[in-house]
Amino acid sequence: MSLKLGTADFAKYPFLNEASKFLTESHLDVDEFNRPEMEYIIDRATIRVEVEMQGKIYKNLERHEVEVLTFLSALMLVKLTNIEQILKKHSLFEALRAEAFLIQDLRTERDEKKKQLLLFEIFKELFKVEVDLDPENAQVFRMKVTDYLVRSSHFHEEGWKIVNKAVHGGYVYLDADEIVRLVRNELGNLIYEKIRAMSLSNVPQPIVQKANYLALKFRPTYENKLPRISDYPPCIKHALDLMSKGENLPHTARLMVATYMLSIGKNIDSIVTLFHPAPDFNEKITRYQVEHLAGLKGGQTRYNVPSCSKLNSEDLCFRTLDCGEITNPLKFRRRPD
Amino acid sequence: MNNLKNSTSDLLFVRNAFREYYFKYNDLVETPSRINEREFGFMTFQTGMMRHLSFNNIREVYATLIRNTPSDFYCSNAYYNFPANLMQDKGWKGADLIFDIDAKDLGLPCEVSHRYHLCANCGEIIESTADPCPLCKNSTVRVESIPCSNCFISLRKEIKKLIAILTDEIGVEDDNISVYFSGNSGFHLYVYDACFHHLDSRARSDLVGYILGNGIGPEVIGVRKGANDKVSIKFPKAGFRYGWSMRLARKLRIDQSSSSKLTNFINKLGGYERFSKYIIGYAKEIGIKIDPQVTIDIHRIFRHGGTLNGKSGLSKLRCVDLNKFDPLNDACLLNDTDVQVHVKPSNLKFKLRGRTFTANQKKEKLPTYAAVYLICKGLATTI
Ligand code: SF4
Ligand SMILES: [Zn+2]
Ligand SMILES: [Zn+2]
Repeated sequence: MSLKLGTADFAKYPFLNEASKFLTESHLDVDEFNRPEMEYIIDRATIRVEVEMQGKIYKNLERHEVEVLTFLSALMLVKLTNIEQILKKHSLFEALRAEAFLIQDLRTERDEKKKQLLLFEIFKELFKVEVDLDPENAQVFRMKVTDYLVRSSHFHEEGWKIVNKAVHGGYVYLDADEIVRLVRNELGNLIYEKIRAMSLSNVPQPIVQKANYLALKFRPTYENKLPRISDYPPCIKHALDLMSKGENLPHTARLMVATYMLSIGKNIDSIVTLFHPAPDFNEKITRYQVEHLAGLKGGQTRYNVPSCSKLNSEDLCFRTLDCGEITNPLKFRRRPD
Repeated sequence: MNNLKNSTSDLLFVRNAFREYYFKYNDLVETPSRINEREFGFMTFQTGMMRHLSFNNIREVYATLIRNTPSDFYCSNAYYNFPANLMQDKGWKGADLIFDIDAKDLGLPCEVSHRYHLCANCGEIIESTADPCPLCKNSTVRVESIPCSNCFISLRKEIKKLIAILTDEIGVEDDNISVYFSGNSGFHLYVYDACFHHLDSRARSDLVGYILGNGIGPEVIGVRKGANDKVSIKFPKAGFRYGWSMRLARKLRIDQSSSSKLTNFINKLGGYERFSKYIIGYAKEIGIKIDPQVTIDIHRIFRHGGTLNGKSGLSKLRCVDLNKFDPLNDACLLNDTDVQVHVKPSNLKFKLRGRTFTANQKKEKLPTYAAVYLICKGLATTI
């Protein structure tokens, strides 16, 4: 029996090489996007990017061809806007979307062979990692110790430490959520790199138009954000910078960022979004923690921004001349240039 | 070469013995794989540390050993593009995975019976560490130990435990492991498996945690913190078959059906935090006593196989058969010409090359290998 991934799979994982094979087979080329039927696809791709820019996963799932074409259109749109924020957000939320599908598939697929194939195709093709089923329990997955270590060591929580995992015969045994979570960042990076490496020539007009629309809508407008990024104190800037690179921040740094953002009046949603790029991001936990700090949960006390000396002792202070004699990051004011 | 700095004649004596060794035994000095990608370094008897050296072949290494007669000679576990450049410009390509187990980290009861305190300044034996040195009034002390056969029995056990965890759990092939006697009071275990080469310090630190049993938490067996120090239990899907979850399940005598048994146990202990402490304590107790820093450091240089240890005059040697290898005999290769020395401590007893020596605070005639051993440890001087 030859088992293959079907169109239902490619709809969910349009970034797999084989997913877009039908395009070459049916000699579909860029010009097709000029045809009126494509309007639906391009609109859908535009909405997808818009939803992602609001910090949400685009959940709608259609048949294979529609999904692949939407995926490709979205890539082109994002590339054309040439706005880093859009590129980053899109990569992240495409990864989160695929992650949600994958967890579901791995949990519900009863056919072991099929499950194995899915794992193999996705992990091997995309991340060059082999993931296997536990021979004794098809609900459990396993990954080579070294493949696990290079990924898990970027995670912050104790639970990811290999000492807290079942390890045997050179493998780490994991459940579906864990195995997928391990590679989330890589998928995001993959999509990010894919877009960066794209070179676009004679893009169909309808796509250009939508890209212009998106670029206008999401143009970085620092004017209406108070304070401006450049007005943040160095400690906060440094932490945000690391975070946007997908680095893991220690708990103390997260606490600093969250309390600071609450104090300058940012809403919970936008603060939670800040933490999205963290490799071990968990929406529910983060939201709870931020609400807790805001005094909405638990003890009802609102947490203050730690003092400069406290931050200094935690190695989080990156003092510059502008800091002067201040005792709390909230007092930071940038000197006029 | 701390212990030799106070006496030129000690220094010359030891250096001569070392030079003779490198003439006679240069075939014991190992040729590291990818030799031209390694960083080398050495310590001389007089001038201190040299690092960032690189050699194209083993003959250049031999020549350096004979010409410079270093007290200690090192080779990196890392492979570099440019091993002779400064650290930031070397171009790190990967590193062997190395573990270090030393007798001092085993917390052995015999340790006090063969431990000596020396003044860090003048080398005088200090009887009571509460007082400054009677000779020079300096108050920093250095500890020297003469490992006994009991130390080596315990070390061998610990190394075997390490080998078992590496092969059974981490998946290292037997053939990819080499064990070395460090030349003093410990063993180094090398993993040559290329899969591990590219692991950075963070990943190695995680692995070290696994070996030590460090960083373990109740979640390893599915115990999570609920409200008010209560617990919620959801046993892991992978069960208790492997690794630390297996060891803990055995210790607690639980299986997948023991949820209420475990809850009772935790409640009896006094809740989640107590249980957490209990697990941490147990893991620490049965974890393997490796030196974490050694494994985590990916830019370190290690004493090189087949060279002499300046702290003892014994060789760092590969143990082909760990059971048969007798460090105090097999690695003791200096000559046996008798020399007169003055032994500092009273009632010093040690064993080398199958001979038991008892020496006390007076002139003793000892074979060179034994004299060098004591001089390197600061426990004797030439007359
Ligand atoms: S001095 Fe205060 S505000 Fe400035 S970087 Fe340090 S902690 Fe931040
Ligand atoms: Zn002294
Ligand atoms: Zn001992």
